[in-house]
Amino acid sequence: MSEEVIAFTLGALQEMNFDTDGADARTVLGPAGIDLDSLAVAELALRLEDKYGIKFAPEDMEVVTVKTLGQLASDVATRAHRPVAR
Amino acid sequence: MSPLARTARVTGIGLVTPLGTDTGEFFDALCGRTLAERRSDKLRGGGPPGGGGPPGVCRPPAEHPMDGIVEVAGFAPDIDPMRLLPPTEARGVDRFVLMAMAAGDAALADAGIVVGRDVDPARTAVVVGGGFGGLTLFEAHAVARHERGRTAVSPTLLAGMLPNMASARIAIRHGIRGFSSAVAAACASGAYAVAEALRLIREGLADVVLAGGAEAPLLPTAATAFRNARALAYGWADPAEASRPFDLRRNGFVLSEGAGVLVVERPEHAAARGRAGYAELVGWGVSTDAYHPMVPRADGSGVAESIRLALADADLGPADVDYVNAHATGTKLGDAAEARAIRAVFGADAPAVSSTKAVTGHLLAASGAVEAAATALAVHSGLVPPTHNLDEPDPECDLDHVRKAARQVPVRAALSGSFAFGGHNVSLLLTRTGGP
Repeated sequence: MSEEVIAFTLGALQEMNFDTDGADARTVLGPAGIDLDSLAVAELALRLEDKYGIKFAPEDMEVVTVKTLGQLASDVATRAHRPVAR
Repeated sequence: MSPLARTARVTGIGLVTPLGTDTGEFFDALCGRTLAERRSDKLRGGGPPGGGGPPGVCRPPAEHPMDGIVEVAGFAPDIDPMRLLPPTEARGVDRFVLMAMAAGDAALADAGIVVGRDVDPARTAVVVGGGFGGLTLFEAHAVARHERGRTAVSPTLLAGMLPNMASARIAIRHGIRGFSSAVAAACASGAYAVAEALRLIREGLADVVLAGGAEAPLLPTAATAFRNARALAYGWADPAEASRPFDLRRNGFVLSEGAGVLVVERPEHAAARGRAGYAELVGWGVSTDAYHPMVPRADGSGVAESIRLALADADLGPADVDYVNAHATGTKLGDAAEARAIRAVFGADAPAVSSTKAVTGHLLAASGAVEAAATALAVHSGLVPPTHNLDEPDPECDLDHVRKAARQVPVRAALSGSFAFGGHNVSLLLTRTGGP
């Protein structure tokens, strides 16, 4: 499923006008790579929540910028396979 | 430190209106040509979305969100957000912000000012007023949230729609680090902002102020509110005839969008740069009707008081004023009240009067800034634009109307008035500049 999440995420980032040329699973989402700021992380999270029916907690968001695209995708895939905690 | 200035100089004008984005063409359209000539023109921008028609007010094209809601509207040119903002910030910024940014760019370019090169960033200020703020963007989000729920609402909505974001984005774009604010006084917002600029210059708080207003009201909910309030002109076979201030057959105003930004500069600062500018801003007056949220005092006493205050502030008498750019929007009550106010202050020898809204429509919060620009251009050129469509002046609006064609008047001082829902009355006085 991770491959599909990566493809969706790249599409979302392109819609948000981020430069994703040459980006792949190893690309970091924060300043060292795509360069998402906190607002962009929040927006990307919303799009992932909307698409996969998952829910990120605020503390999950704080670490997104140090993750790679691949790490984020496997995180999303894991969450998508378990019930949302209440 | 040099003594505090009493006046401020208008050294730059930036406009985004249904007449396009070129200031010369704007003033030409206001006064240089007849309506028939203007219709055959191919001016840049403005007019029906998608192009193909003359600039100025027009019918909304079929399938446009305004189709079926308003009969006539004034559409400003499209502004490409990618030209004004980094790509990742270009989405989700409301149209009123984009138009304000484009007008701000044009005003600074016109004044020959690069902030940081020609003026100290800390001595530069920005005050841009708004009425609705970013309601276009808000309405789109509200509809999406209704359909798709929480995740349909972008976190960038706030940065895109808050009413102060026109000022904020202009400040960010040009590195303006001094005073900044936004004025909300409905249709008087733009004029208020210009008055604020004069205050800031007089108090020695800035050398350069970007002052103006921006409004993007052509969205279904807001336009419907105006329509349901029966404020809009209706039933005109030719949309170009719908906006007719002071005319006997007037039946409402034409809703328009746009932005106007003026560069208002400390005269010494302008002179040191060798800039005479368009006009000197010499006085302001503000009063409040304290009467009704949407109806003016019928005797025009609130409006008259703002004019008297502006004259006193400028140390001028009524006989010094040669031109009044009226607020007159084309409503029965508003135009008549304003005419009474003008007669009350100026008496039998009232100066030449015209309303440029016949051509532009009513740009709400932007109107005061756009009309301050038109007034500055009239002072500068000695040419007073007429009130188009004023075929038969209403006896209730008995004034020295400039109609049919522009009138050459060596304008010593000119008044620009803006009177808003809420009873906010703002009058500005401009004179010819003393030169560099």
